[in-house]
Amino acid sequence: MSTSPATIVAGEGVAAAPRGRRPRPPRHFSKQSRFAPLWLLSPAGIVILALIVAPIVFLVYTSFTDYDRRTLFTGEYNGVGLQQYIDIFTDSQFWHSTILTLLFTAAMVGGSLVIGIGVSHLMTKLGTAMRYVVTIVLIFAWGMPNVASAQVWGWLFQPGYGVINWMITQLRVFGDQTDLSWWNSTPLALINIWMLVVWQAVPFIALTTYAAQTQVDGSLIEAARIDGAGEWRIYFSVILNSLKPTILLITVLSIIWDFNVFNQIWLTTQGGPDNGTATLGIWSYLVAFNQFKVGSGAAIAVVTTVMLMIISGFYIRSLLRSGEDL
Amino acid sequence: MSATVSETQAVITPSGKVRVARRPRRRRHIGATITALVFSVIWIFPVYWMVITSFKPRSDVMTPDPQFVPIHPTIENFVNAVSKTNFLLNLRNSVVVVFTAILFALLIALFASAALSRFRFRGRRTIMVMILAVQMLPGAALLIPQFLIFNDLGLLNKYIGLILAYVAAVLPFSIWSLRGFFVSIPIEVEEAAMMDGAGTWTILWRVLFPLVVPGLISTSIFGFITAWNEYILAFTFMKDTTMYTLPVWLAGFAIPNQPVDYGGQMAASVLFSLPVVVLFLIIQRHLVTGMSAGAVKG
Repeated sequence: MSTSPATIVAGEGVAAAPRGRRPRPPRHFSKQSRFAPLWLLSPAGIVILALIVAPIVFLVYTSFTDYDRRTLFTGEYNGVGLQQYIDIFTDSQFWHSTILTLLFTAAMVGGSLVIGIGVSHLMTKLGTAMRYVVTIVLIFAWGMPNVASAQVWGWLFQPGYGVINWMITQLRVFGDQTDLSWWNSTPLALINIWMLVVWQAVPFIALTTYAAQTQVDGSLIEAARIDGAGEWRIYFSVILNSLKPTILLITVLSIIWDFNVFNQIWLTTQGGPDNGTATLGIWSYLVAFNQFKVGSGAAIAVVTTVMLMIISGFYIRSLLRSGEDL
Repeated sequence: MSATVSETQAVITPSGKVRVARRPRRRRHIGATITALVFSVIWIFPVYWMVITSFKPRSDVMTPDPQFVPIHPTIENFVNAVSKTNFLLNLRNSVVVVFTAILFALLIALFASAALSRFRFRGRRTIMVMILAVQMLPGAALLIPQFLIFNDLGLLNKYIGLILAYVAAVLPFSIWSLRGFFVSIPIEVEEAAMMDGAGTWTILWRVLFPLVVPGLISTSIFGFITAWNEYILAFTFMKDTTMYTLPVWLAGFAIPNQPVDYGGQMAASVLFSLPVVVLFLIIQRHLVTGMSAGAVKG
């Protein structure tokens, strides 16, 4: 009965999803309740249409115009066809920002995954008290709003009196770095922002992986040990294998989050020096709101959205494939 | 964890020795403890440094050799941050905007998620996927057109503009999150109510909505955190310092007519972060599931 075609909503463009384990419809509709979902959905539907869908349509529309500062006052603008897109694709800053966004996202995702999964494994080796300490530490780093942590970073790395510069100087390897200015050189600024983002990304990854790791079937580990596998072998062959679904989910979420990182860059470098740290999001904001070339900024935002949609498309597809009952 | 698995089962290893196999969790490696200590010290250091700087008097903040414990603790920085800036005004703005947006978003999310979980109708999956997809939009994609539209409608620099933008920001997540709570209510509860003659609306109001109150609380906390921390929309929409919300206040923190004051800045950071960190500590048990249950807002 549960697979009877009558209960399956057909023709939704997601036909590839498995149909087998669909539960029965919760209730047979009485006449009274037939329109209930419509009534219940309409407030949210109106809000989403008005505040999300319409703006996105307007964004795409704007990207085909020369909307700029003058337009904000006079309301005048002209259609320019694909000119904004041609300008973007021939702008070397676009390619710099695209490559930077992709590589920097990869670096942040990779760094936070390796550290996070490592910490999760570490937590399984700890006694209750120490594990509690690590958990609390993680929650503090996680809970800090990123506007506040960007301020803290500015103070930690402040040229002159920043405590990190002082520590680097104390190492006596790099000489006197007291006045090192982290945000005046692109590589240093990127390292700095990387640390800020990874610092806040690790807790979610570590705690989620840890939660999954406590669910790993102990008998598998036991069996591997009896077969003579060492600790490393057990970890890589048995535990990581069981954690695959969790790690996949975390990876996709991290890619989406890190691709969209904005505050941490904006509040430390504003995309500087010389647009060196301007990822696509920052660059689009700079063009739209600092240079007030809104049409151009809109075109960058459209391109960015398409890129992100391609990436997150994989996530949505795997979610549908996993047979989750939507 | 399967609790029955060989707590102290004797195992004969290939070399013929009998040893007691125990679960690895029970083995307390000294090495692991030390690594964990080092990790904890590094990871908590930024928070520690923020807190102790905020309690240092101005003369102790900028010293050639940093003071790792405050020698002359004072609350002067907090007093300054609260009394010499727009803190109270901006706090009020934040509270008004965030709470109105959350209330509104939760109410309509409650209805929508009920429809998307307790009813089956044509197009439901498409709607769910669309809601998931809009959550993944990059910030600038909504920011630019919302700014232009609100500019035309005269909603910039007003509460209502920011409230609407925050409703749009938290609504999709709230629907997904609440839906999870609806789905976990067993169908028998509804069937029993139906047996007693309850109609659709009675079941919703009297049976289902009361049962998702825990979901409403946890969803509203996540929504609160998102909206409370939101910076760039508020920064772009609000032009007058009197209309700033706290994140914008914090990002541009300066006491008028004074040089950069890191003590004050750190005190401001503590004031702003405190409610969020406390919330995180309270809901820590639900954090992991809540964040990954179809949640894509960072």
